Formats: sequence, structure tokens, C-alpha cells
Amino acid sequence: MNDFSELENELRKLRPAQPSSVLFGRVGEALEKSRASAAADAKWKRWRFTETPYSNWWSLGFGLAAAAVLILFAVVAVERRYDQQETVAQSSISPETQPAQLGAGRSTSPSRFVPAGGTNLVYNARNEGLHFADGSERPLRRVRYNTQQTWRWRNPETGASLRVSYPSEEIVLIPVSVQ
Amino acid sequence: MEPIASHENWRNCFSEVAPGLLLFARQWVQSAADAEDIVQDAFVKFWRRNHDIHNRGLLYSAVRSLALDFIRRDARRARREATALAGAEPAIEPHFELEDDTQSALAAAVESLPRDQREVVVLKIWNDLTFGEIAGALGISQNTAASRYRYALTNLKKTLQPQ
Repeated sequence: MNDFSELENELRKLRPAQPSSVLFGRVGEALEKSRASAAADAKWKRWRFTETPYSNWWSLGFGLAAAAVLILFAVVAVERRYDQQETVAQSSISPETQPAQLGAGRSTSPSRFVPAGGTNLVYNARNEGLHFADGSERPLRRVRYNTQQTWRWRNPETGASLRVSYPSEEIVLIPVSVQ
Repeated sequence: MEPIASHENWRNCFSEVAPGLLLFARQWVQSAADAEDIVQDAFVKFWRRNHDIHNRGLLYSAVRSLALDFIRRDARRARREATALAGAEPAIEPHFELEDDTQSALAAAVESLPRDQREVVVLKIWNDLTFGEIAGALGISQNTAASRYRYALTNLKKTLQPQ
């Protein structure tokens, strides 16, 4: 680079054209504007990242508390309704699971039911012919009945009624007299 | 990165770098007013972001970027003006404050350099940037910056040699 040192010195003697005097004023003005907008930005950022969340915590807390109370009320209401439904279901289950108590239905307890009637509907009867039972010398006619049995109970205190209906099958052996 | 001291000392800083920045900007735009606009924008951005003034490569990079944007944006207007002024003598504002014919010849020789060499010379001679800073400002390697500078000085020497 030493070969060019003289040339470099000559070049350095050249003075670039000076900026106009108004340029300093314009730059100063622009910097002032940018400083003002930067201050506004900083204020906005401070508000966004510090003040706003701080004040929002209160409203958020109140909102969450109110929502929790509402949910609690809703849950309690649903549970109460469910409990009422369960009581009715329990009343119907009790006689079914404990049929022995049905007969003693004179109790005045609201959970006790008394028999109120029953039907045995034969909807099919089939003659399956003569058969000889084990050790029997006489033939037996075997008849198969298909029935639908329905039993009803009633609670005299509450007026509630319970009905149980189920299909059944019955085989009857009828001795045949041969003459 | 060491921040710039304060907003109040921008005037000292700007008065130091403004002539070199303007000369650099005028590598792309002929008009001194356009160059001033570019320099203003670049300096305000640079100052606002509190760049370290010792990291001047960024400042020159900003000037270059804004100048290239200006050229792209202003191409249509430039063509229109060129058509309108086709018959007139173009008024070229001088890049340097010339004192004698020797300096005029030197300035003309600099302006005749290819742009990639000329911008390295402008950054090195009139803005006192190191090759590392020049490389950062122009987005080239340090070796490329140095070799462009060497080619530029060789070309200048050839141009200025008496025939």
C-alpha cells in the first residue's frame, strides 16, 4: 500500500461537499419527533406489559371468582335434581330386590309398597306329545306354556305404583289315562 | 454494544460524519438534496436505535440500503425527468469542494471509477472506515474490500499519469 501513500494523501486533501445548513435542522427535528414517538412507544409498552396486567389481575380474579360461584351453583342444582330422581328409582328398586317385604305391605312407611294385583297372560301353548317320565309306566302329555307375568305394587302413602313384568315359560306334564 | 451517550450530542457526531455520508450517498444518487434525504433517514434510524457510533458499518449500510431503495422507487421519476431534460445541460452538483485544477482532475478521476471500486475508496479515504467496516457496510468480504481499493488506486494512478 506504500506505493499509493502519496495518492492517498492527495485524495484526503479533497474535501467532500458540506451538507446544507438546513440538513442539521431537519435531522434535529426528525430526532425530536422520533424521541417523542419513542417515549410514547415506551409509555405504551410500559402500560401494556406492566400496568395493564397488574390492573387486569384484579378483574381477572373477580371474573374467575364469579365464574367459580356460578359453576358451584349449577353443580349443586344439578346434584339436587339428580338426588330427587335417585329417590324415585330407589323406591322402585327396593321391592324388586326385596320381594319378601312386599307381602308385609301394611306399613305406613313411604318406602313400603303393598301388592295391588297381578296377571299371568298365556300367549302361547304347545302340545309337545306324550312322554314317559323316569320310572313311570303311564305316559304323560307335555304341554309348554309361554306366559307374560305382571305384578303390581302400590304405596298407599305416596300413591306411587310399581309394576314388574317378565316373560316366563312353564312346562306341564299331564297324566294320560288309557282305557 | 456501547450505546450512544445521549440525544444531545447528536450534532457533534453528525457534523463529523455528515460530509462523508453525503459523499457516500451520492455514489447512487446524483442530486445532493436526495442524498441529504437519505443521509437524514439513515442517521435518524441509526441514532434512534442507539447503535454504537463506533459501529459505523451499520450506519453506512443503512445509507446504502436507503439509497438503493430510493433508486428503485425513483426510477420512473428519473426517466421522466431525463426525457424532459434531454436537450438541456445537466447541472451536476460537485461532490467535492475543489480548490484548483489538480483537485478537479483528481475528483473527476474518482468519479470515473467503477462504482464498486469508488464506494470502497469513498468509505476508506473520506469516511476513515477500516476494511472490516467496509466489508460489513457493503456486504462483501474484507479481502474483496481491500482488493477493490487496490484496483481503484491503481486505476486512479493510471488516469492521473501524464500522457
